[in-house]
Amino acid sequence: MPREAEPSLNERQFVLQALQDSIRLDGRELDQYRPLELTFGDQYGVADVTLGKTRVLAKASAELTVPYADRPLDGIFNIATELSPMTSPAFEVNRPTETEVLISRLLEKTVRRSGALDTESLCLVAGQKCWSIRVDVHVLSHDGNLIDAACFAVVAALRHFRKPDTSMEGGVLTVYTPAEREPVPLSWLHSPFCVTWSFFGEEGDIALLDATWMEEQVRSGSCTISLNKHGEICQIAKLGGVPVEAVSLLQCTNVALIKAKDMSSKLDKWLAEDAKRRDKGGLLAELSAENDRVPDI
Amino acid sequence: MASSQHVLLSPAELSYLHSSLSLTPPIRPDGRSPTQYRPLSAETGILPGTNGSARICFADGTEAIVGVKAEVEKTKRRWDDDAIYSENQPTEGEGQQQPGRDGDNGEESGSSEWVELTVEIPGYRDDDSGTIFLGQMLSEALLADGGFVRKLRINRRFHWRLYLDILLISPPLSYPLPLLSLTTHLALLATRLPKLKSEGDEDPFFDDDWAAAPYLYPRDPSNKQKVVERPPVTLLVMAVGGNIIFDPSKEELAVADVALAVSIGDDASTAQQIQGGDKMDVDSFSHGSGSGRNLKLLSIRTVDPPSRLTPPGVANAANSAYGHAQVVSSAGAGGNSQKMPEARQTESEAVEGVWKPPRGGAKAIVMGALVQKVLIRGGVADEVLDALEGVDTS
Amino acid sequence: MPLDTSTYGLALLRVDGRRWNELRRIYAQIRTQAAADGSSYLEMGHTKVMCVVTGPSEPGPRRGAGISSAGGAGGGGGGAGGQSKDAEVVVNIVIAGFSSVDRKRRGRSDKRTLEMQSTLANTLAATLHTHLFPHSQITISLHVLSQDGSLLAALINAATLACVDAGIPMTDYVTACTAGSTSTYAANDEGADPLLDLNHQEEQELPGLTVATLGESDRVVALVCESRVQISRLEGMLAVGVDGCKQVREILDQVIKAQGQKMILEGTVDKGTGLNDMDLD
Repeated sequence: MPREAEPSLNERQFVLQALQDSIRLDGRELDQYRPLELTFGDQYGVADVTLGKTRVLAKASAELTVPYADRPLDGIFNIATELSPMTSPAFEVNRPTETEVLISRLLEKTVRRSGALDTESLCLVAGQKCWSIRVDVHVLSHDGNLIDAACFAVVAALRHFRKPDTSMEGGVLTVYTPAEREPVPLSWLHSPFCVTWSFFGEEGDIALLDATWMEEQVRSGSCTISLNKHGEICQIAKLGGVPVEAVSLLQCTNVALIKAKDMSSKLDKWLAEDAKRRDKGGLLAELSAENDRVPDI
Repeated sequence: MASSQHVLLSPAELSYLHSSLSLTPPIRPDGRSPTQYRPLSAETGILPGTNGSARICFADGTEAIVGVKAEVEKTKRRWDDDAIYSENQPTEGEGQQQPGRDGDNGEESGSSEWVELTVEIPGYRDDDSGTIFLGQMLSEALLADGGFVRKLRINRRFHWRLYLDILLISPPLSYPLPLLSLTTHLALLATRLPKLKSEGDEDPFFDDDWAAAPYLYPRDPSNKQKVVERPPVTLLVMAVGGNIIFDPSKEELAVADVALAVSIGDDASTAQQIQGGDKMDVDSFSHGSGSGRNLKLLSIRTVDPPSRLTPPGVANAANSAYGHAQVVSSAGAGGNSQKMPEARQTESEAVEGVWKPPRGGAKAIVMGALVQKVLIRGGVADEVLDALEGVDTS
Repeated sequence: MPLDTSTYGLALLRVDGRRWNELRRIYAQIRTQAAADGSSYLEMGHTKVMCVVTGPSEPGPRRGAGISSAGGAGGGGGGAGGQSKDAEVVVNIVIAGFSSVDRKRRGRSDKRTLEMQSTLANTLAATLHTHLFPHSQITISLHVLSQDGSLLAALINAATLACVDAGIPMTDYVTACTAGSTSTYAANDEGADPLLDLNHQEEQELPGLTVATLGESDRVVALVCESRVQISRLEGMLAVGVDGCKQVREILDQVIKAQGQKMILEGTVDKGTGLNDMDLD
């Protein structure tokens, strides 16, 4: 199994020493994120998120399928993560590493289990037809804090996504092409965001946000908190690592809430901008479906 | 969990072990007699959440837990079901023999798909070939005659589906087959299924009083402890020289000439006709009726002993370090590549005190003796079953 | 089956008759297996787990299933066992098919199990003095025999006991327990009580978290919350959980001391250390 080269002792020492004086290599404050950028693709449901040098692409897609036998009233919702060797030589195809398992579990708990997507609304005919929504997450470049970036990309992609409109008349299910009817957004309930704290030192007393890959390699523990802008925690994962005072964890949660609100408003803004961009005809678009035709769907 | 796990013994140690086991009587490293099992402690009914459970600890510290869980499942009807039943012909199960006495009532047969058996060995993947082989040996014994699955029938439309989960708790210090088999045996003995209240072919419903639940292996009504019929037991037997040794430890298995897993069943009901010629072409032994057990041979498998993979010893005559090899080897001898052919040569002839891994198969007479030894009245199988009877399974 | 929380409001008793701050019965044993370097058996209510520790020993050939503490983003750095200057902690969890009410077989590659393995490996790696055993491996295999909530907590506690039994130097006990809250996330009701030590039914219906702390301190080694809960509720739950961990520590400590006392009386410990020489409180 190929491994990533570890930072040398000198590098390790340098980073840690600087952190003792609250100085980060890239000059950020401890609780400051790297610049977060989001680009939507031409298609609906493609979100490309960059966080400093970390870049994650998420693509949502929908297909009609049969619901699971034990959940006839629910649609299907899956998040698939892929860390390819393109990201780092330590990742191999078809062989999930621990990192990959943890990321996919975190996304699953944050987005799926917290009920961000109303899966009941995906059901078309009970026990027979439902939408299967799938989000593919591809990590294009890894410079630390994959989780926060991936989570943001997934939420952005799902909120941006439009699924074909359907109607039921007299027991006949019709799925309309985008040319016939404007695709409809998913029934989205709340937007959770992940905020990852990294802890440093023997006592875990230095905590910082949005660690770079170098910082992640020398950290002694981490804690990912997922919450939405309403102050609901969806998931907390401090999976071992250096022990941290309970009180400081609570403080971390409160700071995380501010960051989540910040991300939430950024995403709202970008979604609104994108909607405006697509709505070329202005008011006219609402009158004529012709103008709204989106190629390649 | 292959039987051929690494044995860290030198050729000299292997040779010593082999010769002490070949003595009459053999001397085993732990001082047991050839037919003696390792002492064990056993308990049943340890997990209230299961239909039956058992735990066995061997004195060497290996430990296993078996849990049995049952679910009601709808029986898949075969298209030719009725045709077969009306003609009163025995159905042909896959790899299992249909005992003659049930030929007149084919309806009572079951399917081997009703039993699911899994083996978990810590540190080994569940698709490891050794683990699968172990599971196969254990389920094969259970399904060898159709008798076991027949117990799982509820009515023509429903049956019990039985899940046997076999966990080895300790690291596999010795080949765990005897341990797992004994534990499975006890767990099955302790298994109870809810009492059926519905009749005929209607949807089954059950008595929710657990105290009324009957045992899967029914007890003698007069004596609660006495079990009429017992689940099969798989014994691990090996032969060294002319000696037959039961329940070998890992080290003993490392010098075995041949190792066999022999599954036996005990049907204390009246003597029955057993049809020979089952798929594995194994003779069935049946000891006449009367008192005592009615042992029958269910299956035999050869287990590949790790002895075949052990490194051979080099006799002094062939060892260049002693100078004798100078004759053969060219000038500047001592290179490994040159020594190899000589080592091979010496392998063909036995030198006293030099370890030579067994090659080739076992003699038929040895195999026969092994099986005979297991099944003989008052033999090891009897002893093991006697000991198991002492375990409280109620 | 929705949990009837209305009765809780009346009598302040939970479905199994406990009060909000009561632990379930904890029964633990160490040295359950003769052949192992360290072993333990732990019951928290109806959750039953067994643990066997092998090592520190020379790292064997890597076999698929285990998840180790070293490497990866979550760990404390370090490389694979062979070259690392710290011992590698490898954790294997086997969830028996018969452990839950309905039989459900979980493969070794089940993500939830893998996540628990990784959590345990990282939790223990932070507490065991792994730097004392360079180039070696500590293998911890856990068997889940019966599940009734608080599984991760039980696994952590059992692993701690087995590591103590194996005599691996560690900073302090790592003990874990779960905490929950009586109302769901939707009801923003201020009067919600925190609950200690959730059983399976409560875990299904109510928000909860698992917390593991180090010794008697308030320092949290692991914190896992998998349900949606108001941020204001977190503080109460965490406080109750941390307090519960201290109670668990007390119980585990008793188990260890009782076993130690027994070993001295039976003479399994070297002569020369008598009862009086050991500080048994």
